[in-house]
Amino acid sequence: MFRTCDITGFKVDLQSEKLIRYNAVFAVISLLLAAVAAILLVFTRYQPVHLLDAEWYYRLVTFHGLNALIFWIIFFEVAGLYFGSTVILNTRFCSPKLGWLAFILMVLGLLMSNTIILMGKADVMLTSYTPLKAHPLYYLGIILFAVGALLAVALFFGNLMIARREKAYGDTLPLFTYGLMTAAIIAVITLATGALIYIPTFLWSLGLVENIDPAMYKLIWWGLGHSSQQINVAAMVSIWYMVSFLSVGGTSINEKVSRTAFFLYILFICLASAHHLLTDPGVSSAWKVWNTSYAMYLAVLASMIHAFAVPSSFESAQRRWGYNKGLFQWLSKAPWGNPAFSSIILAVIGFGFIGGTTGVIFGMEQTNIIVHNTIAIPGHFKGTVVIGTTLTFMGITYYLIPLIFRRKIVGYKWAQWQPWLFFIGIALLSISMIVLGQLGVPRRHWDSSFSGGPFTHNFNPAVDFFWALMMLGGVIAFLSILIWILIVVFSVSFGPKVNGPQDMQLTVSPLAPEEKKHKGGIEAPGTLVLTFIFLLVFIALFFLNWKWLAATWNVN
Amino acid sequence: MSLFSPAEGWYYKKVSKDEKMWMLIALVLCISMFVWMIMWHVYGKQNPSSLTYRTSTAEFSKLSEAYIKRNMVGVDNGIPVVRPQPNSEVFVMAEMWRWSPVMILQLDQSYKFHISSKDVMHGLSIQPVNMNFQVFPGYDYVLEFKPTEVGEYKIVCNEFCGIGHHSMIGKIVVIEKEEDLKLYGYENLKKAPDPIPEGNGKQMSEAEMIAGGEQLYTLKGCGSCHKIDGTKELAPAWNGLFGKEEHVIENGKTTTINVDEAYLRESIKEPQLKITVGYEKTPMPRFPLRDDEIDQIIAYIKSLKN
Repeated sequence: MFRTCDITGFKVDLQSEKLIRYNAVFAVISLLLAAVAAILLVFTRYQPVHLLDAEWYYRLVTFHGLNALIFWIIFFEVAGLYFGSTVILNTRFCSPKLGWLAFILMVLGLLMSNTIILMGKADVMLTSYTPLKAHPLYYLGIILFAVGALLAVALFFGNLMIARREKAYGDTLPLFTYGLMTAAIIAVITLATGALIYIPTFLWSLGLVENIDPAMYKLIWWGLGHSSQQINVAAMVSIWYMVSFLSVGGTSINEKVSRTAFFLYILFICLASAHHLLTDPGVSSAWKVWNTSYAMYLAVLASMIHAFAVPSSFESAQRRWGYNKGLFQWLSKAPWGNPAFSSIILAVIGFGFIGGTTGVIFGMEQTNIIVHNTIAIPGHFKGTVVIGTTLTFMGITYYLIPLIFRRKIVGYKWAQWQPWLFFIGIALLSISMIVLGQLGVPRRHWDSSFSGGPFTHNFNPAVDFFWALMMLGGVIAFLSILIWILIVVFSVSFGPKVNGPQDMQLTVSPLAPEEKKHKGGIEAPGTLVLTFIFLLVFIALFFLNWKWLAATWNVN
Repeated sequence: MSLFSPAEGWYYKKVSKDEKMWMLIALVLCISMFVWMIMWHVYGKQNPSSLTYRTSTAEFSKLSEAYIKRNMVGVDNGIPVVRPQPNSEVFVMAEMWRWSPVMILQLDQSYKFHISSKDVMHGLSIQPVNMNFQVFPGYDYVLEFKPTEVGEYKIVCNEFCGIGHHSMIGKIVVIEKEEDLKLYGYENLKKAPDPIPEGNGKQMSEAEMIAGGEQLYTLKGCGSCHKIDGTKELAPAWNGLFGKEEHVIENGKTTTINVDEAYLRESIKEPQLKITVGYEKTPMPRFPLRDDEIDQIIAYIKSLKN
């Protein structure tokens, strides 16, 4: 059963649409759970309030990690995978029944793990490093969720096969779906690694396996833990290209380059896992240096290629629309009133300048010494996975509400502000955490006054300022998430029905006109300038960190 | 095109000059970072070591205990203080929830730290100099440190290790000359102590028993949970404990017992049998102690009055 979209002209499989809706709903629920935990955690670490007791602090750190990093993101990605493999390809869903099975498994996993955590049987953090042991049902919940997700990925490939056989999309996959396909391939690698570590750990928690070596556990766990972030990156970048298309009719100025960059993510996925072991015993320096870089940091290179390709797709399209004056008219005349557009631009900035720079610098063997396990690490991934992925997912939802849920956005004015609020909030939070970490403040730590310890330690007095800033950022971000959730819930349940293009609040731009000149010359001078600014910031931070490292004790 | 098949000839489209330039810069940057890390091994002074020994928690506990017995020069808040010779090997033990020993180091001298954990993972985080390393049970990580600035440093734990994680904090003092010890209240430290008297058939006096118990309290890390100043966040305090009435949970039922020798002996040998009400969340691990050692610890507890 199909309907033909009266706005975009795509053929939409109704079964697929329903699956997309339900997965998206559970994504939003998970995000709400994660955000409520997050605000409680912020006010616990903000020492003047120190809200929760130690037990609930660690419990909610575990809860927040699992809901934010796993449930919210993967539910949303499953919705995205279904969208990209059916709607965009004008194809039917290969097996809706299995789609529902996958959904039920994932929901069961979510309920099981969350219940066990809240019962206090799994205060082990998201990483659950052995020999810390959780209740067996905690591991089983995650395994069920992962099996469901793996099934969803398999269905994605099934949809691709049907589309290919039925020649639903011409010769070449659209870039958006191509990007999602790389995400799906990475997901298979990642989830297989997850099975490799969670199944033995589950058996161990039941007493059937005697010992799980902690170093082996940590090595394999990060094959899941960080590689899964590469799924997010691939999915997020795909959405960036999609929003360029929807908002200004843009496309990558060279699709071969963009596709190659996606492909690099698959090949160099291990890099990300290895950099979690930089200050660990057990592996040598040669192992560390080689496995975090393969001599040329090719996964970083891939992201840097996108860092040019995504903004230049906007720039090139805008210039073809006639906004050709100077370096930046394309940007000043951009559709800033479109919340999906502003979300994506802010996500690109946050991901690059905050998450990207720190990620690369912290991921080098020696500089990792001055940040490992400090609060700078969650600060870094607030930049990547919260400003980057979460804001991107929030932004694209503004298109999904009218196109998939067929409702108008309620409170559109609020929607236009929400991405900015979120960006400011998380940027404050993230940068404060990075500074605090550079001052030595540990992550996952209930009490910076070390109550009950034999000694105490006073951090650099500057920490007080940054704790306050972090708290402020957390509050702003929390409010922004609430606004987003309210907009989504109200629009989806009570919003006026969308009956055609006249009801679209966000523009769906036609394709930008063909370019006339530019044969291999300079196509995006504005973007080039922006990337050079990025380069300068990166180099400044790079040398700053190495200078700090050089000021520490000698260690060999 | 993001949502449609790309335009005809996309595969052969020439890459624009600016994109080419950017990719080249990015590639050079990525390769330089790789070269930079290697160069830092040659010219830099901060490189994580590649030396690890396989060990077991029991074996490393023995090593570190023997090390402290040989080198202990005093006690600071229940934690043994050692003053290792430059270029010597130092055994650093992480356990729930303390770093042992406290170390007095000489400026610009090297020390080979052997670092391991007695239970779960911990994070060795030296502050305020901000150097961080991972500590595993079963792996002895050898890191050669050379302090380059005098002062008092703390070892914070920055890997979650259970409910008392925040209270896990150790100390390193770096001095340049002998007088500096005064700054930290360490001027009265003795030399390495006499070995703890072994119970080789000889009857020990009450005072010897108490002294032995006190040393064991420090060595075995009882003090990371059991305080002797009346604070009782993680476990019952030891001062005034003997002879007291305590509510305990036995097989799920709450009963009241009198803290006597038999109860203390049983609680040390089988800590899970009767758990004091209020400390259900911080179960005590079993410590391998000889009977004569337990006698000394009991004598020590008895000596601690309110």
